[in-house]
Amino acid sequence: MQHEVKKIALIVNELLTMLLFNGAEDVEIKVKKQGQSTEIVVVQHRNNNDDQFVERLRNSLNNMREYEVEGYYWQLIGEDDNGDELNLVGIMVDEACVERKGDDLYIRLLRTCS
Amino acid sequence: MEYNDIKENDIGRMGVLMALLTIPAIFLFVGIGYEIINGGSVASIFKGFTAIVLSPTILITDFIKVGGIAATFINVALVGFINIYLIHRYRLKINGVILAAFFTVLGFSFFGKNLYNILPIYFGGYLYTKYQKISFKEVIVVVMFGTALSPMISEISFSGILHPIIAIIVAITTGIFIGFVIAPLSSHMLKFHDGYNLYNIGFTSGIIGTLLTSVLRSFGLVVEPVNIISDENQGIIIILLLIFFFGLMILGLCINRRAFRDYHTILHYRGRLITDFTHLVGYGITFLNMSLLGFLSLFYVLAIGGKLNGPVLAGVFTVVGFGAFGKHIKNCFPVAIGVIAAALFFGYDISAPSIIMSVLFSTTLAPIAGTFGPLIGFLAGVLHMILVTNVGYIHGGINLYNNGFSGGIVASVLIPMLDAFKKEN
Repeated sequence: MQHEVKKIALIVNELLTMLLFNGAEDVEIKVKKQGQSTEIVVVQHRNNNDDQFVERLRNSLNNMREYEVEGYYWQLIGEDDNGDELNLVGIMVDEACVERKGDDLYIRLLRTCS
Repeated sequence: MEYNDIKENDIGRMGVLMALLTIPAIFLFVGIGYEIINGGSVASIFKGFTAIVLSPTILITDFIKVGGIAATFINVALVGFINIYLIHRYRLKINGVILAAFFTVLGFSFFGKNLYNILPIYFGGYLYTKYQKISFKEVIVVVMFGTALSPMISEISFSGILHPIIAIIVAITTGIFIGFVIAPLSSHMLKFHDGYNLYNIGFTSGIIGTLLTSVLRSFGLVVEPVNIISDENQGIIIILLLIFFFGLMILGLCINRRAFRDYHTILHYRGRLITDFTHLVGYGITFLNMSLLGFLSLFYVLAIGGKLNGPVLAGVFTVVGFGAFGKHIKNCFPVAIGVIAAALFFGYDISAPSIIMSVLFSTTLAPIAGTFGPLIGFLAGVLHMILVTNVGYIHGGINLYNNGFSGGIVASVLIPMLDAFKKEN
């Protein structure tokens, strides 16, 4: 797929912007490429967001993969100061897991190259 | 990041697709029936359809005037069927952007787009995907919108500037080239206005159109806008629009019985690209929103004494389509008021088709009102009105989404200016 590396970087950018915008102070990011798949794990330590925030995040990221939307609009990710393009991130990943693990907010995204 | 717990009946992808299919089907049957009732024949429909296909289609060429109402309806139906086939063939989810693209293409089949001039662009998009080794699915939306430049193909083919055979070869090659480059270009252009101009392809097409028209002008070939507009057949057009908009409302209520009660949820969204209402508030509220925007557009045109001709119908259908992808009453209203106020201030006739088009299409800037409030939305509308009356000459009328071009310029100037006044928290 075209611009694959750039797309992964923008997804990370968007998630980080959103977390910092919502008060995160300690964020750990891990990106692991394996063949056609890329796993992005973002952990916000000392997460102080409520359950509603986690539920909203889960819903935004668990959109169905939509290649036609991604093919056109992917360059918009990271263009807004508010980190408001999570729905766009949602249509660019195949799997999204959002959960609390103790005090941490754990986000795991899996993207497979078409 | 918004989340609404909306409960609705699932009619499935095929259910929504069938609902969309009824629109071109109605146009087809009404077109044929209307012609026969009025003493026409298959031959007269064919003659009208041929006239549409062979017209240069430069802005503003109303197909209702060129080929008659029956041939125009059939053109709309055929263009609609092709797009529904592609949506079905590539198993696309019927989301907000697909609904917006479908209604936009359908609307512009009343003026500008026909079977002959859209196919080379689709083929160019297909070649691009083969070249890049990606699925055609990834560029369908861009290509659907990208048919904004289809008049370029008709203009080169049928305006008599070249020998007919050479003209057709050059035109089709140009169309394929447009289809090939429109996907990377339009995606790149999004950054210019940060997604605040909903008709991004209009902006992209304006840039490409300016380039192509300049090339033609360099060879001494003049591309001048025309003004071929119909003011007939109002009764049948109004009845059909009312049927479509009531149909959308009933469909929305069948999917979500609480659609009216929950409608306020859609008004919280800014509308900036991408705001897919089908995902955010569900199909029920989305169809209701499309229906309400349709009724408002129709009543506005009738209230000011305007005529429902090809260009105005394109405006109405586009507003309805983007009711699934960013537009709602709250963010459209200030921009439209700004355009009307500017038109009155500068002494334009607000019932003229070009001004009605400006009012309807100005809602491309709805995300500005949704983000920065009604006053800034009003200002965006005023600027749009001032600009849109001047940018048509630059591309010689080959960009059907002229308002998208103007909207892109307004947004790209206004957003950084507003940013300059914003204070960091």
